[in-house]
Amino acid sequence: MWTFLSINSKPLLQITLIPGLAFILVFAIFAVWFERKFLARAMLRVGPYYCGKRSGLLQVFADFLKLFLKEIIIPDDVNKWFFSAMPVLASTIPALALILIPCDKNWVLWDIGSLSLPMFFAIAGLAPLIPIFAGWASNNKYSFIGAWRVAYMYISAEIPLVLCGAAIAIMAGSFDLVKIVEMQKNMWFALPQFIGFIIFFIGVIIEAERTPFDIPVAEVELVFGWRTEFSGIFFGFTMMAEYVMFQAWTLLFITLYLGGYNGPVLFGNVIASHIFWLIAKMLAVVVFIILLRCVFPRLKMNQMLNLGWKYLTPLALLNLVFVLAMKVMGVA
Amino acid sequence: MTEPKLEPDIQRISWGPQHPMSGQTRILLDTDGEKIHKIIADLGYTHRGIEKILENRTYFQGIVPIERMVMADTANIGISYITAIEKAAGIDVPERAQWIRSLVCEMARINTHLYAFGLQAESTGYFPAVFLWTTTDRTVLLDLLEELTGARWSYNFFLPGGVQKDFPEGFEDKIIKGVNYLRDRFQEYWDAMVENYTFEIRTKDVAYLSAEDAVRLGATGPVLRGSGVSIDMRKESPYAAYEDLDWKIITEKEGDCLARTKVRYKEIGQALNIMEQVASEIPEGPIKTRVSPFLRIPKNEVYSRVETGRGEIGIHLFTDGKDKPYRVKINSPTLRNMYVFERMAELTYMTMADMVVVINSIDPWYLDSDR
Amino acid sequence: MPEQLEIFVDSVKESFEDMIISADVKGPNQVEIVVKKEHIIEVAESLKHDMGFTYPSAAGGMDYLNENKMQMIYYVQNPRTGLFLFYRVDLARDNLKISTLTQVWDAMSFHEREANEMFGIEFHGHTDMRPLLLPPDWKGGYPLRKDFKGEGISE
Repeated sequence: MWTFLSINSKPLLQITLIPGLAFILVFAIFAVWFERKFLARAMLRVGPYYCGKRSGLLQVFADFLKLFLKEIIIPDDVNKWFFSAMPVLASTIPALALILIPCDKNWVLWDIGSLSLPMFFAIAGLAPLIPIFAGWASNNKYSFIGAWRVAYMYISAEIPLVLCGAAIAIMAGSFDLVKIVEMQKNMWFALPQFIGFIIFFIGVIIEAERTPFDIPVAEVELVFGWRTEFSGIFFGFTMMAEYVMFQAWTLLFITLYLGGYNGPVLFGNVIASHIFWLIAKMLAVVVFIILLRCVFPRLKMNQMLNLGWKYLTPLALLNLVFVLAMKVMGVA
Repeated sequence: MTEPKLEPDIQRISWGPQHPMSGQTRILLDTDGEKIHKIIADLGYTHRGIEKILENRTYFQGIVPIERMVMADTANIGISYITAIEKAAGIDVPERAQWIRSLVCEMARINTHLYAFGLQAESTGYFPAVFLWTTTDRTVLLDLLEELTGARWSYNFFLPGGVQKDFPEGFEDKIIKGVNYLRDRFQEYWDAMVENYTFEIRTKDVAYLSAEDAVRLGATGPVLRGSGVSIDMRKESPYAAYEDLDWKIITEKEGDCLARTKVRYKEIGQALNIMEQVASEIPEGPIKTRVSPFLRIPKNEVYSRVETGRGEIGIHLFTDGKDKPYRVKINSPTLRNMYVFERMAELTYMTMADMVVVINSIDPWYLDSDR
Repeated sequence: MPEQLEIFVDSVKESFEDMIISADVKGPNQVEIVVKKEHIIEVAESLKHDMGFTYPSAAGGMDYLNENKMQMIYYVQNPRTGLFLFYRVDLARDNLKISTLTQVWDAMSFHEREANEMFGIEFHGHTDMRPLLLPPDWKGGYPLRKDFKGEGISE
């Protein structure tokens, strides 16, 4: 189980490149850049323009450097240990979930077989605790409201997500992410489980706190939700956490519904083309979700809970029943 | 402000003045979870004593500070003071000047409604699409205003007795061009925002204000008309050329935040109509009567009422024969609407998320309420 | 219209008789009533309920230094007819106490608070007399009075 810790070139590559550190960092940089540059087009402006020529790509690095060099302000009345630990944990815990994502049959950083899907939910289920602790530790009313908004929101989103995951596991006959992906060689699970596909997609947006559901950080109401008191690199870490969460859930979404790494073999190399397809699909989904920001105002907390409990959860159950029926009748 | 006592089990949140959305004021929110129990407005962060300043300025000098009340809406604020001076001194204004005044006032009204519209979008978290669109499209108007008045903001264009400049060459065509461009854009706003389902569920039935309550609490402007009360100073006490122009008062019956947004939207449409009318039908003639800059007004007392983008502004001008006013009482629209906002928590169910939408639906401008 | 205003003014004079000091037409659609201080509530109630002045607009103080008096002016409108009313009360400068009108038109609350801090007019019965615009620790006197000598003000 802990074999990846031994010095060996493949695990080293996995840790440093994909799905490891470089993957996360490059993704965060891309997502921030894309969000700033392309949302700017929707807003009839140009976005970052000078730093890094017209593409504004270097602006992301400049901002990161600025965050890194800024003073970290720890207010007097906060719980200092929690306050300093939470931003770091916030970006590392969802990153742990990434190591379960199969990039190829032989390219899984932490291959735990049929435990991988439950383990993903277990790790990702830890993530909402961090905003809650951070909001509590900040000793700020806005942070606190943001924190319990996080709690409400994740509970109402994670139950449908787990139910959808269960439906997938039933259809694939396994909790093993690799097997689930291998099952989708011929047909993506998005087609037979279209309801689950939609529910999971909405769930991903909620988990990633993207726009119609960015309720915990709603800046017009709560300044910046549970992140209000963080400054400097602590704030950078919380920003990072948002994108890591986003990435992890998007990857799981692809793995479960969009055929994972499956795709036509390119460059004559199976592993490389699989990794390519995984990244390509991830970027397509990410770009789509980011662009939702141009279309939707933010929902209210009660509307969000209505959505979660009144629509998503019953529909996810329906989806589960539907899949069970298919399984029993031997269609799938 | 000494803060009122806190009830048990209630959390008090200080919203502003250092908050991304609050503007220059502080609002104390007594919340019970998400529900807002009580709203206490703490105004005065931008109090400059404009009423006192005006007592120490001659009539012509006073035009400059009073326009600082609402920067996006300087024309409508300015004309209130100037009509008061004209009424008190008995100055006649040529017809062409009145039409030009109406034009500039309507352009300023579009300007300020666009801002309100964008902020209403931003308050629902719909930042990208609408707020910056409105800010961008405002440039069309600002360019026109710059060409006519020489300034993009704070024109100081009206003088007692008329306006400063006549239309430049070919200005009428430019107005028509600008109006046509804006019409197209406003259709997009309607599609992207007012008919956006998420925006609708965020604003519909939020902060319902019945017509009786709106009148009782002294609401004004789009807040009042959004509740179905048809009161508009341009008809009640006509100034400039509004009597000769063809336009109608916009009202919406629903009385919620969406209705207020719609009132603003449709008023922009009326303003565009007026702009078109002025461009095509403006009478020829002089643009000002000569008024001495050392104007002295004998003892008199006038109340002039003008419809600004936020509602009725009333200027009560007391003169005493000197070259400076004895007292200028400014009854500002935002102060009245802020009172409505304070009472809104008692009238309706309101949550933290609603509160931002509600306060932007009254379009507060704290420089206006604080004076 | 002016005849209607005259009729209205006459009816006001008739119904209130010695409760008011004067009633005049001030301009197109504008009427002024100067009321006696002790009858301020009764007249206001009657104006609101019997004559339809339900739409409060604003209120503010006014300092007549030469006549050694102050005035509280309430601006009220009849939303149906559009008739605009200046409802004024004379106050002696050494006795600036008056009953609050928030019990009749509760929207006058903010304006009475402003008149309180700017002119020093005391409103008896107002439940929430905090300063509205001035800072809570303001000790500089009443700024809008004519005998206010503030720093940095030229006259």
